[in-house]
Amino acid sequence: MPTIYVDGREIQADKGDTVLQAALAAGCDLPYFCYHPALSIAGSCRVCVVQVEGRSWVEIACNMPVTEGLRVLTDSDLVREHRAAMLELTLLNHPVDCGICDKAGECTLQDYHYEYHGKASVSLEPKVRATKQFPLSSRIVLDNERCILCSRCVRFTREISKSNGLGIQERGDQSLVRASEDGAFEHDPYSDNVVDLCPVGALLPRAFVHRSRVWYLKATPSVCPGCARGCTVQIWHRKPEWAFKALDPAKNTRIERVTPLANPGVNGPWICNKGRDLANIFERARALQPMLRGQPATLDGAVFAAHVLIASAKRPLALVSSWGSNEELAAFAATLGTGMPSFVKADWLPMPGEVVEDEILIRADKNPNTAGALARFPAWDGQFGDADVVVVWGEGVAASRIPDSAAVVRFGSYADADAASAHVFIPISVQTERAGHYTNFEGTVSAFERCFDTRANVADAEALFPLLAESTKATA
Amino acid sequence: MSSKKLLMTFPVTATSHQLADYRARGGYATLEKVLRTMQPADVTKEVAASGVQGRGGAAFPAGRKWGVINLADGQPHYLCANADEGEPGTFKDRWILENAPHLLVESMLIAAYALEVRHAFVYIRGEFDLPYRRLAGAIEEARAAGYLGAPLFGGAFSCELVAHRGAGSYVCGEASGLLTSLEGKRGYPRNRPPRLTVKGLYRRPTVVNNVETLANLVNILRDGAAAFKSHGTPKNPGTRLISISGHIAKPGVYEIEIGYPWRTFLEEDCGGMMNDANLKCVIPGGISTKVLTASEIASLTLDSESVESAGSSMGSGGMIAIAEGTCMVRLLQVMLRFYHHESCGQCTPCREGMGWLHRIIDRIVDGQGRKEDLDQMLRISRMNDGTTICGMGDAAGYATVGILAKYRDEFDYWIEHKRSRYDGNLECRPST
Repeated sequence: MPTIYVDGREIQADKGDTVLQAALAAGCDLPYFCYHPALSIAGSCRVCVVQVEGRSWVEIACNMPVTEGLRVLTDSDLVREHRAAMLELTLLNHPVDCGICDKAGECTLQDYHYEYHGKASVSLEPKVRATKQFPLSSRIVLDNERCILCSRCVRFTREISKSNGLGIQERGDQSLVRASEDGAFEHDPYSDNVVDLCPVGALLPRAFVHRSRVWYLKATPSVCPGCARGCTVQIWHRKPEWAFKALDPAKNTRIERVTPLANPGVNGPWICNKGRDLANIFERARALQPMLRGQPATLDGAVFAAHVLIASAKRPLALVSSWGSNEELAAFAATLGTGMPSFVKADWLPMPGEVVEDEILIRADKNPNTAGALARFPAWDGQFGDADVVVVWGEGVAASRIPDSAAVVRFGSYADADAASAHVFIPISVQTERAGHYTNFEGTVSAFERCFDTRANVADAEALFPLLAESTKATA
Repeated sequence: MSSKKLLMTFPVTATSHQLADYRARGGYATLEKVLRTMQPADVTKEVAASGVQGRGGAAFPAGRKWGVINLADGQPHYLCANADEGEPGTFKDRWILENAPHLLVESMLIAAYALEVRHAFVYIRGEFDLPYRRLAGAIEEARAAGYLGAPLFGGAFSCELVAHRGAGSYVCGEASGLLTSLEGKRGYPRNRPPRLTVKGLYRRPTVVNNVETLANLVNILRDGAAAFKSHGTPKNPGTRLISISGHIAKPGVYEIEIGYPWRTFLEEDCGGMMNDANLKCVIPGGISTKVLTASEIASLTLDSESVESAGSSMGSGGMIAIAEGTCMVRLLQVMLRFYHHESCGQCTPCREGMGWLHRIIDRIVDGQGRKEDLDQMLRISRMNDGTTICGMGDAAGYATVGILAKYRDEFDYWIEHKRSRYDGNLECRPST
């Protein structure tokens, strides 16, 4: 444990650390663009300069190994001068189009400029022009004028996603980040992470371009339901205090974007592209109407009908959702589950074209809480036996698979033919409308929070199950 | 012409570069002597004792570089000859590669023996056509004669030598950029630490030496370090190849003993200035070294201490003589265009600074200059001083600062009058 001194402050560093790592870990404020804790050291942005006490020159902190007793200054005149010079040079050919840049508000270049430089450019020369809105892939657009060539995205595809999908072409101030010709970046299931890595607004997801200003958005911690990894994510949606009053109210309850929530124990700082597209899952046409054999009913009426059906069942069978939270599963186990044989089904199977499994994050089980469900119920073998009432919670069991002899009680969130054909259909809330926990395949429990209010006529599964069981008891 | 010669010791003929001629001159005898009578560590000691300095531009003692290699670390070591001679004005390694390629091969085998290297490389400039063909021919001849890829002289030591052609990037002449390029990657220089002698090619200890530095090894080990030290100055022994171009009567490659008087070299060896023009200034060793005026070099000798005492350096030995009447504004414009074009774009100060300098000088030449532009150029040069990954940013800064410090009046004149002070003044065409 070497001891180093940053601006006279004593810091215990780990052996093998760099000065930048040790200083950041101790809470010192040092700017950097190209450094990223998960990537190799590039040392190219030259902004993290520090001065070793007694030396008349500056060096970069990200490539300076800690040595016992090393004393560095992060705020000497020389450091401030060089830092400002590096920011001045970084901005020299940057378009400074913050007004129309989607990164504005969360851009490190913007932040550092105000903090460490803050002056207008003294250059009279025309800026270097480069491609704008360059389609790096079908998901990502690149603005080469905004790019500061920190090479984080390039290193990500080499070191983390291993697709080698990005590289730099040309040289000097004509350098351009480009995708390799073999289309590896297009098929990289982790490609969108380069957007989060980009310290400026050069790499932007097509889906988010000009969609919203980031300061109108709120990030709610959540868990990606896309597979059994259970990556923690942030779901960005309109802040309630900035809710649209005049425009389409649906804009207030839509998912604007999804970003990773760094979690060393589960997903590190990354998520896959499927996790970015949670809107594709949660914003499918919703079932908002309780139904009896396809005919609209009130929620109370549907609940009553379900309880009558379940209570009268001689050989009931329940198929439990592997998308239910631990709280909902516990509620089911304590109520309905006590009265009938209950099994865990896979709500989702891998879709055509989807990456089934890899060595980075993606798991073959495409359900978020299979582990939590299997802790309470056995796995379903796919047979209905001679069940006369089948309770289906969630997706994954089409009506056509269920024997005609059995009556079906369905709890679902999405409007489809299965909902209309059930004897009783009760709409339930989706993950973004409630809080809860999922247990991932390794047994790690992660929490998700509520983003939006529950819709009218839609039940919360956790509250619904005791209600049905109460009714069960009352009739029995 | 009293200068002692160690490298240009034979008349260049149509066959002088071939193995038979080289053997007739005593070629590969030193290699045999070294392998039969010396231990690897003794070779390094001898090289360190000779005090030979790197001839590529940094003048780092070769023995000290070699001394970092730990022969017992159990890792593979690599040796690479830097034949990516791209510094403008420099073409001295070309002479060795064209006329004495076997001298390089033999020297590299000696170095490989000393450093326990089994794979050595020559990274040769892509534009070098004849030098490459000569070198490739020499490697083939040496392999056929059993010097490469096979145990030598009954011992266990063998070494493979590969010539790799660069793709024309100036920055790949920088040792770490060269190794990155040799690995097949984009030729970006690397940050130090780690030094290349600790983690170089394929993250293994690697020695990168200039062609001329390596070529001296045969002399050092044939005659001993003491004999080598008897040439040149005590701190800077040996001879140097100087490639001189510009407004000089007899441009070309010359070998001089280090410490040779500069004026004598220009006036007697090189035949003075073209058309008897007056000397204005000299770029001592490639455009990255600071320019020295005619009066500054009058009392200087051609060795590191003497040139450094005048605030410049011997650099790569690529000397450019500049006649009175040359416009320094245009000269700097050409230099900055070169640096802008060759900046690799990896680190911020050089990537942005080179273009900025180039655009400012272009604007001045266009007649749109302002007085404050010159201070701005000095400021950009200072932003590049010591802040870049490799030395290119510094080099461009030195070139700019060197010329601006001594010829600022010419820039002021251009800014004020929107034209060169010397338009039409230079008559330096060779007399027919």
